[in-house]
Amino acid sequence: MPLDIGKADLAKYPFLNEATEYVRKYLDMEELDRPEYRHLVDRASERIVTEVNGKKYDRRNEYGREIDDYDKEIITFLFTFMIVKTLGIEPVLRKYALFEAMRAEGFLSKDLSLEPTEIRLSLLRKIFQELFGVTIQIGEDARFYKVKVTDYLKRASPFHEEEWKLINRQVNNGYVYLHPDETVRLFRSELSGLIYKRIKVMNLQTLPSSVKSKVEELRTSLTPRFEYSSIQVKEYPPCIKHAIDLMNKGENLPHSARLLLATYMLAIGKPIDEIVGMFKNAPDFNERITRYQVEHLAGSKGSRTKYSVPSCDKLRTENLCFATKDCDGIINPIQFGRRRN
Amino acid sequence: MITSEAVRSAFREYYFRQKLVEVPEIIEQREFGYTQFGKPGMVRHLSFNNAGELMAMLVKEVPSDVYCSNALYRFPTLPMQEKQWQGADLIFDIDGKDLHLPCMSDHSYPVCSNCGHVSHPAEKEYTCSACSGKKASYVSIPCTKCIEGSKKEAARLVEFLIGDLGIAKENIYLYFSGNNGFHFHVSDESYRPLDSQARSDLVGYLAGVGLIAESIGVRRSPGSDLAFVKFPRSGLGYGWRKRVAEKLDIKASSTVRLTNIIREKGGYSAFKTELDRITRQMGVKIDPQVTTDVHRVFRLPGTLNSKSGLAKVRCDLEKLESFDPLEDACLLGSTKLKIRMKTHVKVRLRGQTFNISKEEAELPAFAAVYFMCKGIAEAA
Repeated sequence: MPLDIGKADLAKYPFLNEATEYVRKYLDMEELDRPEYRHLVDRASERIVTEVNGKKYDRRNEYGREIDDYDKEIITFLFTFMIVKTLGIEPVLRKYALFEAMRAEGFLSKDLSLEPTEIRLSLLRKIFQELFGVTIQIGEDARFYKVKVTDYLKRASPFHEEEWKLINRQVNNGYVYLHPDETVRLFRSELSGLIYKRIKVMNLQTLPSSVKSKVEELRTSLTPRFEYSSIQVKEYPPCIKHAIDLMNKGENLPHSARLLLATYMLAIGKPIDEIVGMFKNAPDFNERITRYQVEHLAGSKGSRTKYSVPSCDKLRTENLCFATKDCDGIINPIQFGRRRN
Repeated sequence: MITSEAVRSAFREYYFRQKLVEVPEIIEQREFGYTQFGKPGMVRHLSFNNAGELMAMLVKEVPSDVYCSNALYRFPTLPMQEKQWQGADLIFDIDGKDLHLPCMSDHSYPVCSNCGHVSHPAEKEYTCSACSGKKASYVSIPCTKCIEGSKKEAARLVEFLIGDLGIAKENIYLYFSGNNGFHFHVSDESYRPLDSQARSDLVGYLAGVGLIAESIGVRRSPGSDLAFVKFPRSGLGYGWRKRVAEKLDIKASSTVRLTNIIREKGGYSAFKTELDRITRQMGVKIDPQVTTDVHRVFRLPGTLNSKSGLAKVRCDLEKLESFDPLEDACLLGSTKLKIRMKTHVKVRLRGQTFNISKEEAELPAFAAVYFMCKGIAEAA
């Protein structure tokens, strides 16, 4: 049964296919260049800048409502899409996608916690089905939604907080019972991935000149912040120092410690030659083999998978962690010294 | 006769007349592997297109052990990185020796690492009576208590799988492992795509590891070890919360009892430790490595286990209680074989008690092979 999604919903969830349809149906692209839309281009720009600065965009009108005019809201979103796409700065796109997802998350969890009417339920079901391919159901106790255990595990297992471990959830008969806000939180990264992908595959033909000039303006102000800068590491984390110490003493480092050392050095952008050189003190050093292995880890040889630095959790189980108080709750050695004060 | 040859020929006879080897679903996407008598290492990265090819290999090679991936691959014969993983069935392993039952030491036979001499189970410090060596590996002849212990774990896992995870009974395949434990294969497509991390989360759930006190409403007062109770808004109705609430006799309507328990234990940290102990005890003792490894080859149902000569056989969930592996999985022939015993042992196999104290004996193949596989006898 086709579901008639109202404008109000499209304003909240403008990344739904219906929103694109709506724009295509009622708006002429050329029309968007008209002066009365200028302020929406400004609003779009403001929204992007807020998000790039790491804040959720929350614009309330004088009555305290987040969304006043549905059409304006949808068009503003369309402008943000165009601007981010044309800017083509990867970190901007990522931040934008994350904060747009969090914004939608707010609406979604509000919608989920309202008394479930048939219409609202079918909208929510549609959103979850269309965007994530997941069926959500109302629990026997209507305060809960339930998702299949497997759908839950796929999404929650990367979360670090203990409360998201399956054992800390209400599980029964193949379902995990969740509060509305938890239900939405479960899908955050997927939603942001989805927005990211939509922008990546978007094909822009003509661009309103107002958008073009806004893009140039933003490019000037944003580019310097995101220019490529290799990570300046002032000090290695203790686990790396320990591995280097052993290596310098000519001790035979276990495989797991070599993997740690190599992946860490790759992650901070050390050239492969230098990394290979670090292993020359190893008793079984063979330059050809070491080079292949480092290149393999870098993803340029063999499986083409780029290996990431093992997590602190993993290092602890391998007895390679030598945490000091400077580690300060990091979960991966790569974060050492990078925390903001 | 060489021991491995004697065992191998009994295995050959089994594979010739066998009807129990199970052909896995989507066989053409599975990786197979096997080990050979008297040769180290495993022959891996094999693939069979149908049951006929698989059976032909068994009869031709007569492997000592046969394994099949729980994973499905696009190219099962290519090296690991190029196989293209498509998903893996959910599997579990319950191993009797992981239960650490007190009876273990009564039936663990030390085999001297120096001279191979087999001694009787001894409680005190080991010294080889033949060469005075101090190092030994141990061979275990599982007793009724061990088997009952793993059966209990298996039954508990079944409860979790059906009640908590909602897996349909007919999709749960339970097997005796062929030595001292049970294997589970779950045939449910929704579990196939789960990665190792998601499976690890699932293992934590089943094993009762990682329940935080906050889940049942116990919170720490900031800056102290005092705790206060505020039940979670979502209640204590399902899963582990319900299990623990029942165990501690807590009702969601009153926090008094839980508050008292925490006080008795001596505060937040002490309660947390106690909670961890309780949940681990209530959880199922599964081998976490097996379930989280999505590239594993796992013993193929219906094949023989060279650690015992018993077969990995299906065990009906309803008949678990009456299942007797030393009867139901003891499937080799009865041709008489001469063996030389390395120690005195008493075992009941296929309804017969073998209480062998003399050095040389002539026993039916199923018993002779059992002792040879266990390493406490050799072919005479």
